[in-house]
Amino acid sequence: MAVQKLEISPVGRVEGDLDVRVDIEDGQVVNAWTKAELFRGFEVILKGKDPQAGLIVTPRICGICGASHLTSASWALDTAWGTEVPRNAILARNLGQLVETIQSHPRHFYALYAIDLTNKKYKNSPFYEEACKRFSAFTGTSYELAITTSAKPVELYALFGGQWPHSSYMVPGGVMCAPTLTDITRGWGIMEYFRTNWLEPVWLGCSLERYEEIQTYEDFLEWLDESPNHANSDLGFYWRMGLDIGLDKYGGGPGRYLTWGYLPHEDKYQHPTIEGRNAAVIMKGGVYDSFTDMHHMVDHTFARENTSHAWYEEGTADVHPFDRTTQPKHINTNDYEGKYSWSTAVSHKDLGRMEVGSLARQLVAGGKHGESWQHYDGLILDMFKKMGGPSIHLREFARMHESVKLYREVERCLREFKLNDPWYIKPTEKDGRGWGGTEASRGALCHWVEVEKGKIKNYQVIAPTTWNVGPRDGNHTRGPIEEALVGIPIEDTSNPVEVGHVARSFDSCLVCTVHAHDAKTGKELARFRTN
Amino acid sequence: MANVLWLQGGACSGNTISFLNAEEPTVVDLITDFGINVLWHPSLGLQLGDEVQQLLHDCVNGKVPVDILVYEGSVVNAPNGTGEWNRFAGRPMKDWLTELSKIAGFVVAVGDCATYGGIPAMEPNPSESLGVQFLKRNKGGFLGADYVSQAGLPVINIPGCPSHPDWISQILVAVATGRVGDLTLDEFHRPQTFFRSFTQTGCTRNMHFSYKATTQDFGQRTGCLFYDMGCRGPMTHSSCNRILWNRVSSKTRAGMPCLGCTEPEFPFHDLKPGTVFKTQTVMGVPKELPAGINKKDYALMTVVSKDASPSWAGEDFFTV
Repeated sequence: MAVQKLEISPVGRVEGDLDVRVDIEDGQVVNAWTKAELFRGFEVILKGKDPQAGLIVTPRICGICGASHLTSASWALDTAWGTEVPRNAILARNLGQLVETIQSHPRHFYALYAIDLTNKKYKNSPFYEEACKRFSAFTGTSYELAITTSAKPVELYALFGGQWPHSSYMVPGGVMCAPTLTDITRGWGIMEYFRTNWLEPVWLGCSLERYEEIQTYEDFLEWLDESPNHANSDLGFYWRMGLDIGLDKYGGGPGRYLTWGYLPHEDKYQHPTIEGRNAAVIMKGGVYDSFTDMHHMVDHTFARENTSHAWYEEGTADVHPFDRTTQPKHINTNDYEGKYSWSTAVSHKDLGRMEVGSLARQLVAGGKHGESWQHYDGLILDMFKKMGGPSIHLREFARMHESVKLYREVERCLREFKLNDPWYIKPTEKDGRGWGGTEASRGALCHWVEVEKGKIKNYQVIAPTTWNVGPRDGNHTRGPIEEALVGIPIEDTSNPVEVGHVARSFDSCLVCTVHAHDAKTGKELARFRTN
Repeated sequence: MANVLWLQGGACSGNTISFLNAEEPTVVDLITDFGINVLWHPSLGLQLGDEVQQLLHDCVNGKVPVDILVYEGSVVNAPNGTGEWNRFAGRPMKDWLTELSKIAGFVVAVGDCATYGGIPAMEPNPSESLGVQFLKRNKGGFLGADYVSQAGLPVINIPGCPSHPDWISQILVAVATGRVGDLTLDEFHRPQTFFRSFTQTGCTRNMHFSYKATTQDFGQRTGCLFYDMGCRGPMTHSSCNRILWNRVSSKTRAGMPCLGCTEPEFPFHDLKPGTVFKTQTVMGVPKELPAGINKKDYALMTVVSKDASPSWAGEDFFTV
């Protein structure tokens, strides 16, 4: 076969700056490299600053996941300072994160992902005409509604934090706000608007209650057939079209999944410690290993970063984030055998490379590990097993599936506030090490802070995309998206929409640039299979 | 019809995401009702790869007119002025900006990173970031102090971290619909319609400011955040309390001190130890006073205000 050289630069509709290079042979990707192409150096900037500087700086790492960064920054200082956090404040922090994620899900689906269903590749699908009608950029009937309605949930964030994005209303010891009855009532009204104008009529085609009855893959298929409203809702339509065009057939990934867990319970984490966190979060943490079909507990000590193939001068060993020094390599030339990305390779010290994100969260939610009161949901794990493993399609569904659960959790927070109780307990600043973990909409997020002599000695962040988009590690193991790209079909190298599907299904927080080359070796490389 | 090309340099997408919250008009209205044609946008653009590169080249070569170039994020120059730490479409982003700025009708910088350099340009500025036409208070920035676009205007700066969606959408509409003559820019190239009054203008805690009733700590429903909590509302030019955020509130209304993010010095004091959420004082007097007042008058006002302070000023004011 003739050697083709193809560059896709950029892919777009993923956030940030990323290059991907893929090797193609006989219409199939046989090797891939993901490259992050922007370095701003927030960890370098934070050195020597006020201990609370992270509350202002880190939400600005990402304007999309600012609430998640803020909550990580706050919990990190809470554990370092040994604060007491009143239950109102825990609920108010959770609420901020919840509404940010509920906002993010439709924006991701419509603005970044579903547009590709209108790609000319699918013009022969019986669903194509309807997809164009609904999902076309700016003019699609569902597109416009989703973009405008998704601005509603973050109005709640503004009621608590003054604005979204980029508030710093969460602080060690609590929150800055003290909402009144009118704020809570407005909040209810805003969420009701979101539910009755988009979530139920447009996305689900049914009530939340009916959707919540779905527990297994069979339940889901039964729901789909039960009513034209279900089949023709955006979810039902997307599901049927996705199967028709084969989105369930590729884009798997590494087969191991991690979430740190999130949403500390308001009565169980008022004295935050690193050790006490696992047993205190509503959405439990853990690892799901699809190769052994086992769930494992995790904590932050399992995290390792490797810079062998990243543009840093920090050696080749796996190090824990507390031990990182963030030394950017001055000249960042592309060397696919050597260094080729600003992202580090993140791994679990015993189980290796992990995918993070909604699919990971939902596969872990189906585990029986953890505390009996913690959230359990077996649907996605059931679908994963019955559909033969991970795919673009299931990853996307897992993301949207969370909307209903998170909506319910918002309702619970609004019910649980006791408006005359404290929102903030002034902490005593001291030196020490802290860790704050959470889940941004696109996956596991952690901050590590070390305060010495009243200022930041070291601040380290591992963002979700660091896990997913990382380059090869010290053992030359591919990163999760690199792995997910291997084996995908490229039907038309002048229209490689399949690469876009994979990158966008991970909702990578980077702008992709993809370089594609034909492989010269002819060697079939190992490819992930789940069974 | 106005062609808009939107690029991101050292950005967090915060301004893009904020922009999506716009309501009057909405982002979709801009495209469907106001004749704005988005040539490409990193989060919203349809084309990928070669198509984007071809489009950029067509813009640079004059085949496709760029009526408005929107730039979000700082201009990354590291290492050593090469810009290689922020490559886009196969080359340093700053090189695209250099070429596109020569053919653009108007250049609009959105957000603090694009206007003043923002957080990436904070000491020690590892990415060698600049704003498009300023670095902090200093005019010049990446394009130079003398730069004017094809329409004869310098870079229109819409600061804020992030910019309020209405600031962005309304300025884009004004430019696209030929109302640019109504824009009055201040010394930092900010449209005065949004940046002449202060953040404090319209703040619900103004009465507490008047009576010098301070917020003692976070999580309170009373008091002014200026005296102890580091609020910059009286010194910051923005319309945050006039047009509100997300239609419902503002930072100061919710109890968060204004960080002054529409001013070139943000983040103030480079976030040195002891400066975060704490008013900097000398002998109990704030080092930075509300705009236009001198120390002597401030001291006099303080005595009178405190004496006149009513009993409710210290109570739970916005009560449950």
